[in-house]
Amino acid sequence: MKARALESPAFFRWRPQTSPALLALAALPIAVIALFVAVMIWVSFQRGMLGTAAAVYTLENYLAVFSDPFLYRVLWNTAVFTLTTTVVALVIGLPIAWLAERTTIPGKTAIYAIMTLGLLIPGIYTAMGWTFIAHPRIGFLNRWLVDLFGLDSAPLNIATPIGMGFVQGLSLAAVVFILTAQMFRAMNPSLEEAAKVHGLGFLRTIHRVTLPLALPGILAAVIYVVTIGIATFDIPAILGLGNRVYMLSTFIYLKVHPQGSGLPEYGITGAVGTCMIAVAALLTLLYGQVLRSGHRFEVVTGKGYRPALIELGGWSAAGWCFIGLYAFVSKLLPLLLIVYAALTPYFAPPSMEMMGKLSLVHFTNMEWGLVLRGARNTALLVVFVPLLVLVFAFAISWLVVRSRNRARYAIEFAAFLPQALPEVILAIGALLLALFVLGERVPLYGSVWLIAIVYVAARIAFATRALNGSLLQIHRELEEAAFVSGLSTLRTARRVLLPLLRPTLLSVWIWTALLVYRELTVAVFLGVHDNITFPAVIWSYWYAGGMNKASAVTLLMTILLAPLIAAFWWLGRRSQTAG
Amino acid sequence: MLARLQRARSLWLGIGLLLASSAPGYGASATLTQMIEGAKKEGVFRAQWSQNTFGGGEGFNEFLAGLNKKYGLNLKGQFTPGPDMQALMVRIAQEAAAGQPSSTDLYMGNAQALFDGLKHQVLKPVEWGAIVDRRPPKDQGYDAIAADGTHMAIATAVVGIEYNTNLVKGADIPKRLTDVLNPKWKGKIASTPYAAGLRELAMPGFLGREYILDFTKKLSGQIAGLIRCGEAERLTSGEFAMLVLTCGGNDATVLQRSGAPLAQTIVQEGTVLHMRYAAIPKNSRAPNAAALMAAYWMTPEGQALLWKHDGLDLHVFPESHMKKDVDQVRAAGGKVVINTPEWLASLKGYAETQKELEKILREGGK
Repeated sequence: MKARALESPAFFRWRPQTSPALLALAALPIAVIALFVAVMIWVSFQRGMLGTAAAVYTLENYLAVFSDPFLYRVLWNTAVFTLTTTVVALVIGLPIAWLAERTTIPGKTAIYAIMTLGLLIPGIYTAMGWTFIAHPRIGFLNRWLVDLFGLDSAPLNIATPIGMGFVQGLSLAAVVFILTAQMFRAMNPSLEEAAKVHGLGFLRTIHRVTLPLALPGILAAVIYVVTIGIATFDIPAILGLGNRVYMLSTFIYLKVHPQGSGLPEYGITGAVGTCMIAVAALLTLLYGQVLRSGHRFEVVTGKGYRPALIELGGWSAAGWCFIGLYAFVSKLLPLLLIVYAALTPYFAPPSMEMMGKLSLVHFTNMEWGLVLRGARNTALLVVFVPLLVLVFAFAISWLVVRSRNRARYAIEFAAFLPQALPEVILAIGALLLALFVLGERVPLYGSVWLIAIVYVAARIAFATRALNGSLLQIHRELEEAAFVSGLSTLRTARRVLLPLLRPTLLSVWIWTALLVYRELTVAVFLGVHDNITFPAVIWSYWYAGGMNKASAVTLLMTILLAPLIAAFWWLGRRSQTAG
Repeated sequence: MLARLQRARSLWLGIGLLLASSAPGYGASATLTQMIEGAKKEGVFRAQWSQNTFGGGEGFNEFLAGLNKKYGLNLKGQFTPGPDMQALMVRIAQEAAAGQPSSTDLYMGNAQALFDGLKHQVLKPVEWGAIVDRRPPKDQGYDAIAADGTHMAIATAVVGIEYNTNLVKGADIPKRLTDVLNPKWKGKIASTPYAAGLRELAMPGFLGREYILDFTKKLSGQIAGLIRCGEAERLTSGEFAMLVLTCGGNDATVLQRSGAPLAQTIVQEGTVLHMRYAAIPKNSRAPNAAALMAAYWMTPEGQALLWKHDGLDLHVFPESHMKKDVDQVRAAGGKVVINTPEWLASLKGYAETQKELEKILREGGK
């Protein structure tokens, strides 16, 4: 077989074959995304009650969007918020990823546990926690500062774009960690060792070698965090809406869920969403440039790949102080707040009086039928969505990075689009598609599978970004060797690529599962009866002013799932070690 | 012999009456009997409204148990918390337009949402008079049962100012609307994003459009934020000292029972009665069960459960708790307006005024 391959001229210009099955796998989610986008564009040209004779075609939505001075204020707020979010998330997430993967810091499993288990805490609680810390009227830090320095007014205000960006950044530091940790893990240490041999110090090595090598992963993380910052809903909703500080996501939410007079303005949402496709296109082009120059970062090869770690020595304690502070501020404090709120009859700042009122009333009165319905649907989504995302994303990434198929640019573009679009827009597209296009022919409306389809479409971008980055770092000569040895494309993928990609696949699986587990916006928009999810149950309590009941359900959810996630991580780490 | 026969007939008549009175639908109209039979076939009753309305799922379970007991049914219930009243009506209208069954078999909501429902013609007329145990008395010409049968009021919420009793005490408790403009409250109070109460006060015959527009501009500079009715915990937490104005002080009534520092005051100028209505969507999967549930709420037991779970009942009934609030305002010379879909439909410029008020409140801050 080897001889046959060597004799073949194809060996000298080896190009993987694009199988029709792989192409179909990649095209399926792209078709769904295209359908959602098409529905959104269609809606952007309509006004009035959709699906009725009152709906008319018009350009008014675009005129309304561009002539609304309020929207420009919203865009400015969103820009400040996103920039703050990105800076905070990078400043925290990147060093922790580096510490966990490139140094000898002890307790790495604990670091992973901290960074991932904290994701179980919904953003609404992080926001509520920070309300009690830095709110101008009830934040204890503000009260303390006012008393200490005799100030006239509170020095901190969390209900500003910068304040909200800080809280969102704390939450997204875990995303940066997940996105960059696997990149640090796959990085060839020989270049750093060479730098050391040539006399470069620690900081200069970081600056001249480590950071340039990490650039694609960092850029991917930045793009990802920026787009989440633009689209994120929960923290701006909790901290901003009530204080009249609006972001793009809350602006869209208010257009779709008018709090008072009028019908939902799907048309305005569609017009904003259509404009955001242009933003998505720009970001895609930017990322594409990185991808095209990706060969410069191919550092993992079949020979000589051996991760070496930087000895931290006494600096380990400093590293752990940093991680511990982050864990306390962003995870432990909100978790304590959840416990406190779950045990109190109504929401009030902690005091001796409130401590006397602690009880289990919210647990004994829990609506188990509803909670179990939510748990069942969430479990279904957590099992199926990551699996589908991995299958589709692998097909897309392989086509984009490895093949010479002409469709790859279009596929890459379409796969990235959902990343730059607020999930609410995808949800609206899916809702209108299920209601007015598919109707009873394909009974998706009110089904958990409709939510699953949107989740898969929304998560494809993240998964392909991560897989693209990892595929870029696996040199083609490994696949060429397999090909020369007579392995088919499918067996090459199974025997060569998948084992090397296992850490990335695992982190994508976990991250997708966690995001699905806590996702709220799509679930709220598409939830009807039978398809209500666990986070939507929590939201329904919170939205109706039942913060304490919501806390009780959140606590239950966290307690139930935390050991499973921890066990999963432990198994994951063990399999990597064994590998 | 004749006397014995008469005694025997009387005895049988008595037994017959006793049996009839213990059976479901005693004194029932043909409509009620048909509905009970229809409900038995429907089997499942799906309900959706906000979790903080009518006791949410906990309240629903008790309502369903009462309904099953009263009409001899064995309905299975499925309650799912839903969006706010107007958003739910929009959803029902969308589902109707798309030929899908309604998210909820029974719609429960306010006049504004019903006004939208009537506009989109998605509500099914019901012969309420034939199925309720007691017809609600009229209140100064107001009839809780709509003339066209599309809706029936089942409870009353009284609009006022809700406040944290730890932060607002004694002489600080507002008596007039303008009291909330006192500089000491600047940056400490909230209003609603949908101008609850203000939109009705702005109507001719009440405080009027110009007066309320001017007041709202001042209020917008005074408030620290906008919260929804039902977010009373943002008052108990101390984040805001007052909510100007509420959709009804019933959440204060419910939270007070657990010791929360919360109360509502009604201003001297008057109040709006935000009625809570029941209506059956045309695309309901269980219209009979839904109508029976609404009828059950009109019974003394149903009213007592509404009071227990949501702190409100229908003010026209003599045993009503809300009647006391309404009588108090009237006795003090305050004006009382009952918010109905028909009243909203009769007003010129209501929707425009509401939008204007919402914009002032929303954009008053940064």
